[in-house]
Amino acid sequence: MSAVLTSNTTAAPIHQASPGLWTLAWRRLKRDKVGMISLVVVAFFLLMIVGSYTGLIARNWSKEVGVSYANPSFLAGAVNLEAAKTESREGAAKIPYVDLSDIDPLAPRYKEWEERTAKIKVTETPRSETLLFGGDKWGRDVLQKAIKGAQTSIFVGLFAALIATIIGTTLGALSGYLGGRVGDLMEWFYNVFSSIPYILLILAFAAVFASSPAMADFRGVPMVIAILGLTGWTGIYRLIRAEFIKHGSREYVKAAEAIGASHGRRMFVHILPNVSHVCLVQLSQHVVQFIKAEVILSYLGLGVPVDAVSWGTMLAEAQSELVIGKWWQLAAAGISMAILVTAFSMLTDSLRDALDPKIK
Amino acid sequence: MENILQVKNLGVKFRLDGGTIFEAVKGTSFDIPRNSTVALVGESGSGKSVSAMSIVRLLPREQAIVAPGSEVLFNGENLLNATDARMREIRGKEISVIFQEPMSSLNPVFSVGNQVSEVLRLHMGMSMRQAWTRSEELLNEVGIPNPKLRLNSYPHELSGGQQQRVMIAMAIACEPKLLIADEPTTALDVTIQKQILDLIAKLQASHHMSVLFITHDLAVVGEIADTVVVMQNGEIKEQGAAKQIFETPQHPYTKALLMCRPSVSKRPMRLPVIDDFMGAAGLQPAHLAQRARGYAADDEIVLEVKNLSKHFQLKEGLFKKRDVPAVKDASFKLARGKTLGLVGESGSGKTTVGLTLMRLHSASGGEVLFDGVDLLKLSERDFMKYKRRIQIVFQNPYASLNPRFTVGQILLEPMTIHKIGKDEQERVQMAMALLKRVGMPEVSFYKYPHEFSGGQRQRIAIARCLTMKPDVLICDESVSALDVSVQAQVLNLLQDLQDEYKMSYIFISHDLAVVKYISDQVMVMSDGDVVEVANSDEIYLNPKQEYTKKLLGSIPKGWQEDKAA
Amino acid sequence: MGAYIVRRLWQMIPTLLGVVLLIFFLFNWVGGDPALVLAGKITNAEQIENIRKQLGVDQPYWYQLWVFIKQIVTFDFGRSWATNEAVSNILITRVGPTLTIMIPVLLLETIIGVILAIGVAYVRGTLTDRITMMICTVAMSISFLVYIIVAQYIFGFQLGWFPVQGWSDSFTKNIVTYAPLPILLAVFVSLAPSLRLYRSFFLDEVNQDYVRTARAKGLSEKTVMMKHVLRNAMIPILTNVGISLPGIFVGSFLLETFFSIPGLGREILTAVNRSDFPVIKAATVYLAVVTMVVNLAVDVLYKAVDPRVVLK
Repeated sequence: MSAVLTSNTTAAPIHQASPGLWTLAWRRLKRDKVGMISLVVVAFFLLMIVGSYTGLIARNWSKEVGVSYANPSFLAGAVNLEAAKTESREGAAKIPYVDLSDIDPLAPRYKEWEERTAKIKVTETPRSETLLFGGDKWGRDVLQKAIKGAQTSIFVGLFAALIATIIGTTLGALSGYLGGRVGDLMEWFYNVFSSIPYILLILAFAAVFASSPAMADFRGVPMVIAILGLTGWTGIYRLIRAEFIKHGSREYVKAAEAIGASHGRRMFVHILPNVSHVCLVQLSQHVVQFIKAEVILSYLGLGVPVDAVSWGTMLAEAQSELVIGKWWQLAAAGISMAILVTAFSMLTDSLRDALDPKIK
Repeated sequence: MENILQVKNLGVKFRLDGGTIFEAVKGTSFDIPRNSTVALVGESGSGKSVSAMSIVRLLPREQAIVAPGSEVLFNGENLLNATDARMREIRGKEISVIFQEPMSSLNPVFSVGNQVSEVLRLHMGMSMRQAWTRSEELLNEVGIPNPKLRLNSYPHELSGGQQQRVMIAMAIACEPKLLIADEPTTALDVTIQKQILDLIAKLQASHHMSVLFITHDLAVVGEIADTVVVMQNGEIKEQGAAKQIFETPQHPYTKALLMCRPSVSKRPMRLPVIDDFMGAAGLQPAHLAQRARGYAADDEIVLEVKNLSKHFQLKEGLFKKRDVPAVKDASFKLARGKTLGLVGESGSGKTTVGLTLMRLHSASGGEVLFDGVDLLKLSERDFMKYKRRIQIVFQNPYASLNPRFTVGQILLEPMTIHKIGKDEQERVQMAMALLKRVGMPEVSFYKYPHEFSGGQRQRIAIARCLTMKPDVLICDESVSALDVSVQAQVLNLLQDLQDEYKMSYIFISHDLAVVKYISDQVMVMSDGDVVEVANSDEIYLNPKQEYTKKLLGSIPKGWQEDKAA
Repeated sequence: MGAYIVRRLWQMIPTLLGVVLLIFFLFNWVGGDPALVLAGKITNAEQIENIRKQLGVDQPYWYQLWVFIKQIVTFDFGRSWATNEAVSNILITRVGPTLTIMIPVLLLETIIGVILAIGVAYVRGTLTDRITMMICTVAMSISFLVYIIVAQYIFGFQLGWFPVQGWSDSFTKNIVTYAPLPILLAVFVSLAPSLRLYRSFFLDEVNQDYVRTARAKGLSEKTVMMKHVLRNAMIPILTNVGISLPGIFVGSFLLETFFSIPGLGREILTAVNRSDFPVIKAATVYLAVVTMVVNLAVDVLYKAVDPRVVLK
C-alpha cells in the first residue's frame, strides 16, 4: 500500500489529485446541515473531555464546594431542608438512604461506597448555598460532576467500540475472505457468542471479571471497556463478513488476483479500503450503544466505581434524590447524555449517507 | 392512420442528489398509431425509458418533474392532467407495461396465479374463481406449458423466459389498447429473445394492440417495428417508417448507429464510430475493406487446452455433496496473434473456461499447455511467473476497477507486484504511455474510476493488462455492457492492440455478431459441452450441429427487404 | 423438512459445545478460584481447602469439565452458593414472571411498530416523516434508566396510577395491577428503534421493481403498500423479531429490579452481585439452548412467509 501511495504522491507534484471518496464524502457531509450541527456538538463534547482529562476543567469535581443538595442558582430561593439536616448531623458517619426496595441489589455496596468517598474528602472550605446546576448530597457541583462523568462514559464508549470494531473487522475479514475451514471456525466462534443472549453474556463477563484475580489490577474503567469490547463485536463481525464476501466476488478483486496480488494484499490493500466506511459507521454506532450500556452497568454497580464518577453512577444517586425532590443531578446526567447521544446518532446517520450514496 | 397516443413536447427533468437538475427528456413529440408497433431506440441516457414511463406516470414521484406544456394524449385525453384515480383505471387496463428484468418485476412472495388474477379482478370485476380460470387461459396463450400447475408456482421457480411470459400474460389480461415494452428481451438469452419477440408480434396482431417497444438494439427493431423513433441525449434525432430509417437514414447519428454495430454478414477492417459520421471525414477505406479471418496452417500455437473440466460442488443434505459440471472436456488451441471466440448462452460454461485456464477457478481435470508447461500442475510460486502472461478483461467496467484506487495506482499495482520497470519513475512513465496508447489523456492518472464512463473504464482495464505485456488476453464479455457506439471503439482498440503486440485473444461473449466480427476461430458451448469448434466464417456459413444452427437462427436479422413487401 | 430439522439439531452440537467451553473457560479459569470467591473473608487455609474439595476444584480441569457437562445433561447444577436453593428450582420459578412481562411487550411492540412504520413509510419524505424520525432519534438517546426512574416517580409516587413496585402469586392480579407500568414502559422505549428499523425495511421494498409492476397494474397506493410491500417487508421484520425473541427469557433485568418483579433477569443480576456462579452458569447454558431452538423455529417459520426459502 505504502509503496503505491508514496509513488503517487511523489510522482504527482504538478497535478492536483482528484478527490477520493473520502474527500467526496466530506463534501457531502458539509452540505448536510443536521450532520454538521451534530458534528459540532460531538466535537464540543470531545473537547470537553480532553479538557477534563488534562485537568483544565472540572478538576475540582470531587471538592465539596456547596452545602448538601445545594440549590441550582436559578432556584436560589427554594428551601433546602436536607442541607439543614446534614448540617446538624455533620460528622455522623451514617447518612440514611431512602431505600426503595428491600432487595436493592446495591444495598451491600452503599457502605463501601461511602467509605471510599470518605477517603477522598478534602479539607473543609466555606460552602456555598447555591451552585450553578445544584449540588449533590455531599455538596459537590453537579455540573462539574456531569463533565467528569461525560469523560468516563465517553472514554468507555470510544475505547470499547474501538476494541469491538477491531475484533469484529479482523474476524469478519478473515471469515468472509478466506471462507473454507477458517471461515467455518470463525462462524462457530460467532455462533457460540451470539447464541448466548447479549445481556446475559455481558453479565457473565462482569461476574467473572469482578472475581478474577487476573483482572484485579484492571477494576473500574478498563474492566468495563474489556467487558463491552469483548462481548460487543458480533454484529460488526456479521456485517464485515458479508461485505468481504460481497467484495471478494467482485471483479476488481478477481482482477487483483489475476495480476498476482497475494491474499493479504487483496484483503487489506484492495478490499479493506472499500469496506472501511462500514467500519467507521459501525464504530460510531457502537460508541452510542456502549455509552448507553456503560451507564446501565455503572448504575448496577458492575461498571465504574463511585469514586470515578460516570453518568451511570450519577443516575444511581439520582434515583433516591428524586424522591426527596432533588431532581437536578438526574437532569444533568440525563440531559447531557441525551444531547451527546442524539448528536452522535444523527452524525452516524449523516456519515452513512455521506459515505454510501445510492448513486455510485 | 388514427393515432392511439400522441406525445407532444414532452420534457422531463430529474432532481439529483445535491440539488442539481438533470434534463432527461427535452421536448420530444411522437405518435403511436393504432394497431402498430413503434420502436423507441437509443443508447443509455437517451431518455427513451423516461419518455415511455412518463406516459403511464410511473416515474419516481420524488425526483421527476414533468415540464409544464407537455402533453400525452391518449385517445385525446391528456394523461398528464388526469387524476390519480383515472390513471389507475388506465394502467393495466388501457395501457400496460412489461419491464426489462422479469425476475425482479414479479413479486417474489405471491404465486403466478395470484399476480395474474389480481389485475383481472381489479379491472374486469371478476371473482377469484373466474379470474383464476381466465389466468390459466392467458398462461396458455403466452405459451407456458402446463398452465394449470404453473398458476401455483412462484416466480423463482420459473426460467427467465417464462417469467417474462407471465409478465406479458399479466399485461394483455385486460385487452389493453397499448402495450409498453421496456427492453423486454435485454436480460434474456438470444434464443429466448427470439421467442419473446415472436410472441409479442403475434399478440400485437391478434389483440389489435399498439406496442411501444423500447430498445437499444437496432437489429431487434428491424424485426418488429413499423415506425422507429431514434433518441439521443433526451432529444429525438429522427423518426419515420422502419423502411425509411433502415434504408435511407437521414441523421448522421442514425447512420452511425446502423453502421457501428458489427453484423454477421460484413467484417470491415475497422468498425465505423460515431465521430466518423458526425465529422466531415465520413467513411474511410478501412471501414469498407474486409478483413480475412481464420487460423492458418503455419500459425504458432501459444496455448493448448486439453480436456479441461470443472465441477462445482454443492453441499446437499448432511454430508452429501453433489457434483455440478460446469465445463466438460473442453479442448482447443489458441494461435499467436489470433482470436478464439467463445459463444454460448448463460450457463453454458464459457466464462468458467476462461477463469479456469488462468486458475481463478481450480480445474477439476485436464491440461492447459502454455510454452509446453502445464499451468494447472504448477505450484503457486512457479505459476506466478506465468500469471502476467495471461490476463483478463472483465464484463462490468463499473466493478472491475477498485473504486478506492486512482487510475495511477491501478496501473502501477501489477508493475509493482511483478517488478516491472527499474524504478517508480520508470513505471509511472510506462503507465502514462499506456494510458495514451489506449486513448486516455494523461491526467487520468490522477483520477478515480468513478470519474469515467463505461467505455473509458474498459480502456483503463485494458491498459492494466497491457502493463504486464501478456501473450494471451481473455476478454470476458468485455464489450457486452457498453453502448453500441462505445462498443465499436473498444473493439477497434482491441484489434489495433492485437495487430501491434501480436497478442492472442480469447473472446467470450453471448453476442454472436460481435464474436463473428472479432474471431478467427469460434467455439460454441452449451451446458458445459463444447458443441463445435471451427474457423468463424466456416461455422457461421456452415454450422454442423443442430444447436449451432438454432443459435445462429435466433440472431435478430435487423431490417430485411422482403419484410417490407 | 424433517431432514432439515434433524440437520439443524445436529449442527447445534458443536455450537453448544462451544458455549459450554466458553462458560467453563470463563468461570473455571478466568474467574479465579471459586473457593476464594465463596469463602469471602475467611482466610483460614484449611477451611478454604475444604471448600475446594467440596466444589471439586482441586480436580484436574478435564475432570471439572466432565462434571460440568454431566450437570448440564442431568439438569442438576447443585445448589446456589448464596441461598442454597436448588439451581434448577430457581430457574423454573423465575421464568414465569419474566414471560408475563416480556410476551406482551414483544407482541405490542411488534404490532404497534409495524403499523406505525407502514404509516410513516406511506408518507415518506414529508414533514411528518422527518419529525417522527427526529423524535425517535431523540427518544432513543435518553437512557432507559431515566425513563424508568422518571416514570416510576411520576406514575407510581406522584400520581399513584400504578403500584410503585411489587408482585403477587396471582397471575390475574399481576397482569392487571403490577405488570402494566413495566410493560408500557418497555413498549414505549423499544418502539422508537423498532419504528426506525421497520420503516427502513418498508423503504427498501418500496423501491423494488415489483412495486413498479404493481403500480403499472393500476393498483392503488394503499393496496401496493398493504399487500405487495407489507408481505415482502415481513421477511426482515420476522428476522428481527427472531433475534429479539430469545431475549424475552432474560427479560428486562432493569425493569425487574426497579419494580421488584421476581423474574429471571433480577435473579441473574443478584447472582452476579453475589458471585453466585452456579446460577449464572446454568442460566447461560440453558438460555443458549433456548436461543438456538428459537432460531430454528424462526427459520422454519420463514417458509411460511417467503416461498423462496428452501429447507433442506
